[in-house]
Parts: sequence; C-alpha cells; structure tokens
Amino acid sequence: MKRLSLLALLLLLTAITIPAQNNLTGLQIMEKVYNRPTGNDMEANLTMILISSSGNERVREIKQYIKDFGDVEKKIMFFIKPADVRNTSFMNWSYDDPNKDDDQWIYLPALKKVKRISSDSKGDYFMGSDFTYDDLGDRKPNEDTHKILREEKLNGEDCYVIESIPKDEDYMYSKTVTWIVKDKWIGLKKEFYDEDGEYLKTLNIKDYKNIKGYWIITGTEMDNVQKNHKTIMKLSNVKIDIGIPANKFTERMMKRGLK
Amino acid sequence: MEKFLNKILGKPVLVLITILLISIAFFFVMKQNSRMETDLDKYMPQEHPAFIYSNQAEKWFNIKDGIIIAIENENGIYNPGTLKKIKDLTKKLQKMKEIEKNDVTSLYTADNIVGTDDGLDVKAFYKRVPKSKEKLDELRQKVRSNEMVFGRLVSEDETVSVIIARINNDVFSQDFYNRIIEVSKEFEVPEKIHVAGRPIVEGTMALLGPADMKRMVPIVILVIIIVLYLVMRSIKSTFFTLLVVLFSTIWAFGLMAALGIPIYAVSTMIPVMLIAIGVADGIHLYSHLFHFMKENPDADKKTAVKNMLHEMWKPVVMTSVTTAVGFISLLTSEVYPIKYFGIFTAFGVMAAMMFSLVLIPAGILSFGLPRPKKKIKEEDETDSDNSPHFAYKFADSVIKHKNMIYVATVLISAISIYGITKVWINSSFLEKFEKDSEIVLTDKFINEHFGGTSTLNVILEGINEGEFKTPDVLRTVAQMQDEVVGELPVVGNSFSLADYLKRMNKVMHADSAKYETIPDSRDLIAQYLLLYEMSGDPENLWQVVTEDYKKANITFQLKSDNSKALNSAIDIIEKYRPEFKKAGIELNYAGSGYKALVFTDLILEGQIKSLIMSLFIIIILLSLMFKKLSIGLIGSVPIIVTALIGFGIMGLLNIPLSTTTALISSIAIGIGIDYAVHFIERYKIYANQTNDKTKTTHYTMKHTGRAIIFNAIIVIAGFLVLLFSVFPPNRTLGAMVSLNMFTSFLGTITIMLIILYNANIYFKNKKGEQK
Repeated sequence: MKRLSLLALLLLLTAITIPAQNNLTGLQIMEKVYNRPTGNDMEANLTMILISSSGNERVREIKQYIKDFGDVEKKIMFFIKPADVRNTSFMNWSYDDPNKDDDQWIYLPALKKVKRISSDSKGDYFMGSDFTYDDLGDRKPNEDTHKILREEKLNGEDCYVIESIPKDEDYMYSKTVTWIVKDKWIGLKKEFYDEDGEYLKTLNIKDYKNIKGYWIITGTEMDNVQKNHKTIMKLSNVKIDIGIPANKFTERMMKRGLK
Repeated sequence: MEKFLNKILGKPVLVLITILLISIAFFFVMKQNSRMETDLDKYMPQEHPAFIYSNQAEKWFNIKDGIIIAIENENGIYNPGTLKKIKDLTKKLQKMKEIEKNDVTSLYTADNIVGTDDGLDVKAFYKRVPKSKEKLDELRQKVRSNEMVFGRLVSEDETVSVIIARINNDVFSQDFYNRIIEVSKEFEVPEKIHVAGRPIVEGTMALLGPADMKRMVPIVILVIIIVLYLVMRSIKSTFFTLLVVLFSTIWAFGLMAALGIPIYAVSTMIPVMLIAIGVADGIHLYSHLFHFMKENPDADKKTAVKNMLHEMWKPVVMTSVTTAVGFISLLTSEVYPIKYFGIFTAFGVMAAMMFSLVLIPAGILSFGLPRPKKKIKEEDETDSDNSPHFAYKFADSVIKHKNMIYVATVLISAISIYGITKVWINSSFLEKFEKDSEIVLTDKFINEHFGGTSTLNVILEGINEGEFKTPDVLRTVAQMQDEVVGELPVVGNSFSLADYLKRMNKVMHADSAKYETIPDSRDLIAQYLLLYEMSGDPENLWQVVTEDYKKANITFQLKSDNSKALNSAIDIIEKYRPEFKKAGIELNYAGSGYKALVFTDLILEGQIKSLIMSLFIIIILLSLMFKKLSIGLIGSVPIIVTALIGFGIMGLLNIPLSTTTALISSIAIGIGIDYAVHFIERYKIYANQTNDKTKTTHYTMKHTGRAIIFNAIIVIAGFLVLLFSVFPPNRTLGAMVSLNMFTSFLGTITIMLIILYNANIYFKNKKGEQK
C-alpha cells in the first residue's frame, strides 16, 4: 500500500515537473540537436577506419572543409590516404530546401576530370562505411515522429531518450532511439532498427570537444551488428570559424588538390 | 551356435514376442526421431581440403546459391503490369525470413551507373513503376546500354526478367519451397513464372528421391510377396521371410534414429539392400526344409527344424558375415552418408541373419510346418522319378560346355572392361530428373534466355594487398573470362572485378564503348573503385574482391551442371594457372557445383577402394571359413564377373556413375557372395556324402541351384518394379540391381561350378569320378 502511494506520488510529480521544467517535445529536442550551432565553417582532418567482419582494417585519411552559406552547406573533401587515391576529391552541396537534391561532384586525379554525380538514393552509405549520409546529420527532424521515452544517465551525462519513427514507411530504418545530452544537445548514442524492425547498428559518440564555444563531435563509432562491420571516424586538427573563402568550394579547387 | 539356437528355440513364442516388442520399440523411436537431411553440404566431408577451401571462400565473398525466379511476358516486359510484378515480387521475397534483403537481385534493386557528358548518374532503374510510353522506352534504353544487367537480369529478347534470391545452404525445406512457389504463382497471368536454380534442384532431389522410394518400396514388397508365394506355395513361409526383411529394416532405421543420425538420400538404399539380402536367408532355409520334408515326409516339426538349423546355420552365418563385412568396407569412404550406409546395412544384415535363424524356426515351431501346395511337390516327384531332374540336366550341360562357357566369360569380361574404360562420373543433379520434368524444362528455359543456372567460382589469391588493382592482373582475369565464355557454348556468362572496372571506365568516358577496357593506370583503378564504393553498393563489390584487394572471385555461369561441362571450363582455366603463378597468385575453385564435382570423385574413389578391399576381405574370409585359399578365390569369381559386367554395362550404355549407381557394386558383392557361399557349402556337404563329382554337382544344383534361382527371381521381380519409378536414379537402381542379381546367379551356377568341378576340391579320390 505504502509502495503504491509512493509510486502514485512519483508519477504525479513527474507529470507536473516535466512540462513545468521544460515544455520540450521530442520534436523540439531533435530540432535543437539539428540546429545546434557548430560554427560557420570548419577545417579538419578526418580519419576513417573501416573494420570488416574478418577484422580487416582499412584506413582512409581525408582533409575536409565545410562552410555554411545559409540556405546551402558546402563541403569539400580531399583524400590523403591511401596513396593510390591521393587528391581524389569530392564536393557536396546540401540545400535546406527539402525538395532540392544535393549536388555532388567527384574528381579523379588519374582521369583529370571532374564529374557530376547524380544519385537518387539518400540512404546510400557514405564511402563504403557503416554511416549513411542521413546518419551523418543530413536527416531533417520533421521527417520523423519523435517521442520522449525516458530520461536517464549515459556516461555520466543526463540524457533524453528519444524514439524517432519515420513518416515515410519505405525509409531504410523503421525506428531509431537516440540518447541526447541535455543542454549540450549532442546525440551521445543512437540505435538503428532496420525495415523489418530488427536491431541493425549502434552509433556511439566516443569524443566531443568544446571548440570556440561550440560542441563538436570528434570521435564516433558505428557498429553494424547485422553485418558485423564497424566504422570509426575521428576528427583532428579541427579549426572552426577561420573564414574559409567561398571559392574554396569550386571545381577548380577540386582539381587543384592538396599541395 | 547351434546349441544356443536350439536352446532359445525351446520357447518359440517367447522369442517371437520379444523380437516383436523390440521391433515395436525401434519403430516408435524411428517414427519420432527420424529426420531427412536435405542440405547436400552435410553430405560432404567437411575436413577435405577442397571443401575447407570452398567453404572459406564462400565466406570471403558471400557466395551462395541462388533461387532464380523468371517472369516471362511474351509481349515483352516493358509494360507497367510486368514491371510492377517484378517490383512486388522482389519486395515479397525480401520480406521472407529465409532470405536476407540484400541477397535479392532484380531489375528493381539493381543500380544503374550511367555516364553522361558531364558526369555520372547512379540511379535505380526504376522506383515507381513507369507508366508512360516515353518512360518505358527510356527504361528499355537504360537496360540495353548496361552490359552488367542486359542479358543477366533481362533477356536479350526482352521477354523475360529474372529475380535472383540467394539463400544459405541450410534454409531449404519443403515448406520454404512450397511458399516460394506459392508466392511466385500469385504473380502469374498474363505473365508466366518459372522457378529454378541450384537450391531448388538440390532440395527437390533430396526430397523426391526418398519420396519416390517411399512410394515404390511397398510395391516392391508386394511383388516380392507374390513371387515368394508363387515360389514357396506357403503363406506361412512367405510371411516369416518377409518379417525377417521388415524387422531388420526397422532395426537398422530404429538404431539410426536412436543414435540421432539423420536419413540421407543414400540411406533409402538400406531397405533395398535388406530386401535383396534378407529374402535370401529365408529362401535357403525354407528351401532346405522342403527338401528335407520331401525326403522325410513323416518327420515332425521339431526334427525338421533341428535338421534345418543343423545343416543351414553355417551357410546363413557365413553369407551374412561376408556380406556385412563387404558393407563395412564402405567405412573407408570419406563420405559420411556412405559410411553410415555401410554400417547400418551391415547391422541390418546381421539382424536379418539373427531373425532368419530365430524367427523362422520359432515361427515353424509356433505355427507349425508350412505345407506347400501339393502341385509343385508332385511335379518334382514325377520329374525325379521318370526322367533326370532338370537341375541334373542343366548341371551336365554346363560341365559339357565348359570350354564354351570359359570363352564366353572371358569374352564378356573383355567387353565389360572395355565398357568400364568409358564409365564417367556425373556430379549433375539436374540430370537425375526426367527430361520432360518441370524442373528440367524450367532450367532449360532460363538457360536459353540467360547465361546459365549453374555456377563455377574461381578464387584467385595474391600475396600483396591491392594485388587486384594491378592492370596486368585484371587484364589476365578478363582474358581468361573471355576465353572460357568464347570457347565454350555451355558457359554463358562470367563476372568479376574486371567487369566492374570496364563498366566504370566506360561510364567515366561518357558511356563510350571504346573505353570498355581495363584502365592502364593502377591509380585510376583505385580511384574508380573508391568512386564505386562511394556511389554504388559496395556490398556488390565484396562479392568479387576482398576489401584488401588481395583475393578475387570470378563467377562463371554454366548452362549445365554436369561434370563434363564443369571440367571443360576448368581445363581452359587451368591454362592460366602458370600466368597467375608468375604474379604470385594462387588459383583455386569454390562453389557448390565444384564441391559436387569433388564430392563425386571422392565417392568413386571410395567405392573403388572399398570394392577392392571388400573383395580381398571376402576372399580371406571364405578361405578361412572353408579352410582353403582356393575356395576363397573360386567363391570370388561370380562377384568379380558381376562387378565387371555391372560397370561395363554402365560404360557401354553411357550411364554415368553417381552416388546411387556407384553403390550398386556393393550389392553385387553382398549378394553375389551369398550365392557362392550357399553353393560351395552344399557342394562340400554332398562331396563328403557321395564322393562322386557328378552326383555332387547334380544334388547341389538341385538343392542350392534351385534356392538360388528362386532367390534371384524374387529379387529381380521386386526390383524391376523400380523401373516404373518417377525418379530416374531409382529406375537405374532397379535395373542395375536386377542385372547384378542375374549375373551373380548365372556366374555362380555356370563358371563357378565349372571351376569348382575342375578344381577337384573335397574329393578324396583326386579325380572324384566313381565308375
């Protein structure tokens, strides 16, 4: 009897306190994450380690530049390693307008030609990794329905646990569950469930830093349990708001490569 | 032994009940625990290097066999209805729990990488079903210009498109097959749906063979009952002879189930063997009994049984032991199902021996002596009284024409040996089916429109990482592919990393056919591959190369799964071995087709080994039993002749050796030796009694010759029933067993008799002639 009344009291308390403390809905939380300021531009070295089920590791080193132009975010990447693809470059312009597809270009130094890539599958995996473009932050919050499952501590941080279900039934995930650090609005962990509702993979944030007042994620790990495949991504030499010139993001620069 | 038998036969009813109870117990164990093994991989010796390698390679490249579902529309597939069906069926298959989503390939799932003037287009051929004529024509154009899809997923006449669902070896079941068929059939009209592919062939075979056996064995038994009755003229003896066969089969399968060993396709041959062998003991026992009763019409059942056991236990035990040993020699085989087959048939043979010595006498003691219908007896009587018995005449004529028989035997053996040189092994599963069966016709249909339903994987392994980014290596691979596909009409297609690179090179040069070549620069190759990984589906890439580019997988599609087709491809591929070797690259083979090929070789090798071994063991056993080496040698003559003729006829009639036909040689030995042992044993007894060669020959022919011919007639009649089987391998089995029975019978009463006669064994007077 005693226990029951205590539970009722707790329930009552939470019912009052949550909306009182912060009236945030699942969608609002996800928007905060999506809109978290990360600076106007960034230069960084990206190391991507692909680990296959047999334990084989492939390491790719990339120099990347990103700049936010308001309605469009431009990104250019130059491969440093492996040696045989050095200076292969990839440029992506991603638009805020949900009806507008990304523009993409590739430059192969051995061919000396820039080619436009048009691809209709946003679900594509990013450079053969376990990340899709959407996983890398391209997915807009209003594409899913969000629900706060609970609040709990993860790695010593207070987190919201949010369940997101895509509005489009044909989407590659049937559900994702995200742990979001309160006040920092960083997704600390994310579980992905495939179309059939089966557990597919987990994203873990290994490292994040405060650079010039922005929370920047610098170490992530994606574990695909179905394929037993893993991708580790690390950012180093991160520089924020250094005023990357707009003409950095052109075909000419792609061809020029890293000197 | 005899004492022991007489002792336990003191309580015949108790013996009957005990055996019955144990049999019932085994029957229930069998009912509950028996399980068919349909995964053909389980048949193969997993520790054999070729299998270890292939299994490993299958993991590296995710090599699986594919179910092929072809959608045919005579008016062409480019219409909204058919395209929607391709899409819906693809999705349905992807949702089945036995199939992984990524393992389904169709026009709907395929990526189309197309070069344009300024770029590269990576798109699905269609997501929404195109409706307008322009859109449909556009799709048609896209498919036509993509050599990785045209002719592979869509036939060149554009009337058929295939969906390929790759599945793991262990998921096939009757239920899964039914569901695949059911799901596919929903999409028929006006389209036609055809389902083929190795998993279907293997699965159907693993189910159809035994199912056919299950249907045929009762008919075989029925025919044997009828013939047994016609020969014995007694319901009681027919009944007990059959009981011996039935119980020994139940015991063998019961023990198998109790030990948790599944029923393999070859295990269905166990009842076949036990019918052939078990019937023999009964016939010889009763035959002797009738013989005894004719000579001693007043003897009571106890005396009759006592005499029967006294005179017959030895040959029954000897024949059974030699037969069992013959089967145990199959343990030398590397193939587990064959080992099991050997062990449990041997067990069944020993059980049959025990039942013959216990059940039959107990039956006589409990239910009285069988009283054959008078007719046959009277005929016998009049025969032997007035003119010489037919058996005597026959024996005389054999002895008289001995030179002719020698010549005939040598001649037939020579022809057989020539035939044996033409024997070939066939690992084909498809060729085990009826030529006009659904499965063969579907396969033919798909082979006419596409590269082929069977595959051969060539695995190349380099020393260094990135080996398969080297232009020269890739060019050799491409050259090898071109030569195999160009030279052999049976090879319809091939697929490797080289094809991806040729495609990428073409696409990056604005789809110009001129650039459908391997690039000259290693860097460009690496960059193309990176681009493919970024824009296409890298999972596809890992089916042709490992992530470290150290190993590559080349898939050849063949229009036939028979050994000749596979070997013809391998012959050409082998020519490239030295060239790869120079670059430090090892060449190996993988895939289910190749495994089946190795497997069949193993079976044959095992068969020949065990055949030779059992021949030696039997010669030794016979020599020990009769305490004469010469008898061992003479006794083996009929089985050698039988085996020669058996294999010779297979060669001459172009019947390939396969898992079932190879086993037939075991029957030849198992049964052939029985005839010889009974004959020699009786010959020895009469020789001692009469010391007269002619009389001995006459009596033996009358006593044992008769039993042998009855035995042969019964089993041949039974097995000829299998000629009406719907499963061709079972028909071959029926014909070959019948043939073997006939030749061992004939060999025993002709050539062996002559040698025995001329050898003068068992006669004190060396000439053995008493004037």
